[in-house]
Order: sequence, then structure tokens, then C-alpha cells
Amino acid sequence: MLEGILTGLSTALIPINILLVFVGVFAGTIIGMLPGLGPISAITLMIPITYGLDPASGLILMAGVYYGAVFGGSTSSILLNAPGIAGTVATAIDGYPLAQKGYPGKALAVAAYCSFSGGTIAAIFLLFAAPALAKVSLSFQSADYFALMVLGLTSVAAFASKGKFLMAVMMTILGLMLSTIGTSQSAGVQRYTFGRMDLIDGLSFLLLAMATFALSEAMMSVLKKPKGAENADAVNTTHIGSLKVTREEFKQIAPTIARSSVLGFFVGVLPGAGATIASFLAYGMERSLASAKEKLKFGKGSLIGLAAPETANNAASSGSFVPLLTLGIPGSGTTAVILGALISYGIQPGPRLFVERPEVFWSVIISMYIGNIVLLVLNLPLIPYIARVLAVPRQFLIPMILFFSMIGVYLVSFNTVDIFIMVFIASIALVLRLLGFPMAPMLLGFILGAMMEDNLRRALVISDGSISFIWQRPITLTILIITALTLLKPLLGLFIKDDSQTA
Amino acid sequence: MSKDKVGASFFLVLSIAYGVLAFDIPLTFVGIDEVFTARTLPFALAVLGTVIALLILVLPSAKTDDSQKMSAAFRGLNWKLVCLLALLMVFYGMTIRWIGFVLSTILFLIGSFRVLGERRVKVLLLASVPVVIVFWLLISKVLGVYLDPGSLYFFLGELF
Repeated sequence: MLEGILTGLSTALIPINILLVFVGVFAGTIIGMLPGLGPISAITLMIPITYGLDPASGLILMAGVYYGAVFGGSTSSILLNAPGIAGTVATAIDGYPLAQKGYPGKALAVAAYCSFSGGTIAAIFLLFAAPALAKVSLSFQSADYFALMVLGLTSVAAFASKGKFLMAVMMTILGLMLSTIGTSQSAGVQRYTFGRMDLIDGLSFLLLAMATFALSEAMMSVLKKPKGAENADAVNTTHIGSLKVTREEFKQIAPTIARSSVLGFFVGVLPGAGATIASFLAYGMERSLASAKEKLKFGKGSLIGLAAPETANNAASSGSFVPLLTLGIPGSGTTAVILGALISYGIQPGPRLFVERPEVFWSVIISMYIGNIVLLVLNLPLIPYIARVLAVPRQFLIPMILFFSMIGVYLVSFNTVDIFIMVFIASIALVLRLLGFPMAPMLLGFILGAMMEDNLRRALVISDGSISFIWQRPITLTILIITALTLLKPLLGLFIKDDSQTA
Repeated sequence: MSKDKVGASFFLVLSIAYGVLAFDIPLTFVGIDEVFTARTLPFALAVLGTVIALLILVLPSAKTDDSQKMSAAFRGLNWKLVCLLALLMVFYGMTIRWIGFVLSTILFLIGSFRVLGERRVKVLLLASVPVVIVFWLLISKVLGVYLDPGSLYFFLGELF
């Protein structure tokens, strides 16, 4: 492991990679801060840039963008009560009242310290958990991978917000359907190409991610007036006051940070759970642990109420890299985009990554430490200036996002048809969003589709066409049982509700 | 009708059409006898998609308040602005090869700023021209990516 850490250090500490961490964190913070745009859009917008870099540098940049975007989301939550992403909704519960009380600087500083602590503690866990899991997963076979992918896909749906379980499953299936467009990897025949040359290689992952996230999110913010714009009580983003946090306040939030980091990391590791669930769980846990006096402050600007979700969402962001790096299974929409970008590089994350490309594996982990330090040293003093981005009028920001989305895809393919396909897909995505269908499961299905089909085919061939591969290996069976259990709760919920309503 | 039911109806049609089109997927001579062919996953997805869409249609909606109704979901939205922006994006796609990256991007940005409410000519120019020039310099001169100057100029050159 020590050798690996040294390899990671030597790669991550190359000046260009350090610079990329800075650029990533900074760009991620600014993009994540814009209401409506989350880490998925931030990373997607960066992908065209990463194509010009080597895989380790590209992944380091994307990881930096990820932490930056999560922190940026917190800034708009605290100052505008307009969370850019679901993962920072819990931050707004206490962060915004604290800012309204006249302490926006303190709220942002606490958020920055908590993000740093949560991210760093989780990165330490990652340092030990990832190699251990990678070694175990070296023994995985096609059947196990197939089972893991089914688990990854179903758990994203199972963790979808209340009442959206079936909609999320439907979107996962849509993603899988879209992944079958193009030439079949195993049989070499064309599927759903309708004789069009443009579709022979299938839909581009970058195009789909840009259209369904960056483009449709920007269009959605035009369609609906953003919450922050209507918020007359929004905090003045140009004067955010003192960033000072007292020693007593640090003492008060220290146990919360420790607990929320551990909780956030383990929730982040679970496929499908991610930063949103981690932040709400941490908030709930701290509220139930708080004294009766402190409990009254929750929702009115409690420091603990702000520290808990902010620590947990950053810890979960680091935790979500565990299944991605070790099993090649993304646990969230964001890591799915990173996986898609890695596949475009010709790199398959998973146990072989640990063996074959140790410099990529370890440099990402090491860059997380650097990323968290950068997040603190870059963002904390720059918060007053970065926050001014929120004051840039929407009429300038949205066209820029549209332009960067389109040109990002165009500069990869140099095919103008891609721009038309993007507008078409973004329009459909816009309508589906309005109908309440989530986009992340679709992207996950699209990215995992080809791999899942390939592993299923291999598992069936190995078992002579019999489905006995499901129970032949204990690992496969265990993963599929966990999958069934994950699905059980939301499925039971649907039918129990049905009974109560019809009774 | 609630919005999830409308979405489910769309997915039901899509799944059935997807399944029907799966019959058109050609099978190789060797592939016909295989357990897992190029049609296997599409058929499975079509069946799964149909079942899930039917479940959404049959089961009661999770929330039954007015906000879940189709009319409420599409009420009071700035469709006009979004349609104009979509048209500008299509225009951008049509012109980028013809009049070149710099001019088409400047036109797209000015058009979009204007659609979203900016009227001051000076601001329109200052917010678009420098950004495009810097981006063009970065892409073509620093990163060395070739950007087509535009076929229009080529034809004009041929003419004069």
C-alpha cells in the first residue's frame, strides 16, 4: 500500500496536476454555485477539457470539480436559499437562517471548514477501504459483475425520492434502451440505427450527459423563474461580513463533524444513496442527539444544524468513489458521469484498475487530500469574491452555459448534427423533468447498459445458457439478495399504500 | 390526468415500439443458435418497460394534490423564451460551419442575451465579443484545435 501511496503522491504532486486541482475546485465552486446547476453539469462541462489530458490528470480535474461543485451548492443554499443540488438542501435549513441573522460570512466559513473536515476524514477511510475492496473484487466473475450492476441500477431507483421509485426505474430502463442504440459489441450487428451513419457508434455519452443535464438544467432555469430570483429576503452577496469562527464554536461543532464524516462516508459508499441522503441522515442524527435547548435552534440558524449536512455531503462525495474505483460501479449520477468519461479514455475502472493502472487509482485518492486543502485555502479567502458570481445576471450566465455545452460536444465530434440532436434530447429531457421523471437513473442505465449486457452474456455462456449462474456463486447470490432487499421496501410501500387507499 | 400517468403513457408506447423494432435487429448466422443474441436485452427491456409503465398507470399516484396535475406542471412557464433559445441553438448549429465559429458564436450570444432581456447594445457587444475572441484564441492558438473559418468566406474568395 505504501508503494501505491508513493506512486499516487508522485503523480498527484506533478505541478500540472496540482494546477488542475486548483482549476477544478475553483471552476466547480463557481458552476455549483449557480442555482439549478449541480456537480453532474459541472463535471460534464469539464469533460471536453479532460479529453486533452492523460487519464490520471483528467480524473483529478473531475474529482476537484466534484468537491468544488458540492461546496458551491452550499454557498447558494446559504446565501440565496436556492440549493443548486439536492445534496445541499439540508444545508439551507440552518445555513440560510444563519445568514439572514447577519452572519453569512460565518455560515460560509463553517461550511468551508466542515467540507474540508468531512472530505479529509472520508479520504482517510477511502485510503484503506478502496484497496481492501479492490483486492476482494479481483476474484469477481462476470456473474458477480452483472449482479453488481443490477444492484447499482436498482439502488439508485430505490433511493429516489418518495413516490418516484417506479419513475426512476422507468428512467433506468430508458437509459438501458438508449445504450442499445448502435453496433452491438458482442454480435457486431446494428441495432436501432435506422440506417443512419450518425448512429452506428451509438449515442455519445458526452452528448447525452450535456443534453440531459447542463443544457436542460439551463433551459429549465429559463422556463421556471429560479427560487433565488424571487427571494426578496436573499442575503446581499456582495457584503458577506466576517468569516471568523470562534474557538467555542469550533468546540461545539467538532463532535458533529466527526460523527457526520463517518456517517457520510459509509452512506456515500452505498450505491445509490449519495450526498443527499447522507446530509439529511446526518442532520436528523444531530437533531436527535442535541440537547433540548440546542434542538430549539434547529431550523433557525443552528451551527450544528449547518455543520452536520455540510460535513456529511462532502464525506459522501469521497465515499462514492469507493464503488467506482474498486468495482467500476458508479453509486450516483455524478460518479456515473466520471465512469463514462473514463470509459471514453479506454480505462475500465474496477479491480483491474488497481492492478493495471495504480497511478490512476492512487493519484485520485491522494488528490482528494490536496483537493480538500485547496477547497479550504482557495475558497475561504475568496468566498467574498466568489459569492459575487451569484450577482451576475441570469441573462448572461445562461447563454454562456448553453454555449459551453454545445461547443463542448462539437469540439469532440466536429459534427453539427450533434448540436441538433442535443437540442432535441434536451427538449425531451425538459418535458420529462416537468413530468417529474429523474434524469440521473437514465444516465446510469446508459453508462452501465453495454457492460451489463456483456457480463450477462458471458455469465450465460459460461453456465451453458442456464440461469444457474445466479445461485452458483455465493457472491452473486448475496449481491442479488441485497438487490431484492433494496427493492423490497419501495415495492412493498407501493402495494401497502394501494391497499390502504382502496380499503 | 396526473403528470406521472401522462409520462407512463409515453413510456408504454415507447416500450412497445422498442420491442416491435427489436424484431428488425439482424441475427448473424452463428448468432441464431446462441442463448444470448443481440435481440435478447432489447426484448427483456421492452417487456420490463411495458410492465413498469403499466404499473405506474394502474397504481395510484404517490401525491394526489393539484401540483401533480398535468395542467399545473405546465402552467405559468416561459415557453416562449425556451423555444426562442432552442431556435437560436439550432441556428448556431446551422451557421457554425458556414460563417465560422467566431461570427456564429457572437451572433448566438448576442441573440440569447437579447432574448433573456438585455437590450443595451454596448453591453451586448462587450459581453459577447471579448469572450468569443479569448475562447477562440485559447482553443485555436493555445490548444491548437482547428476551427473551420467558415465556408462562406471560401466561396466569397472564389467569387472575388
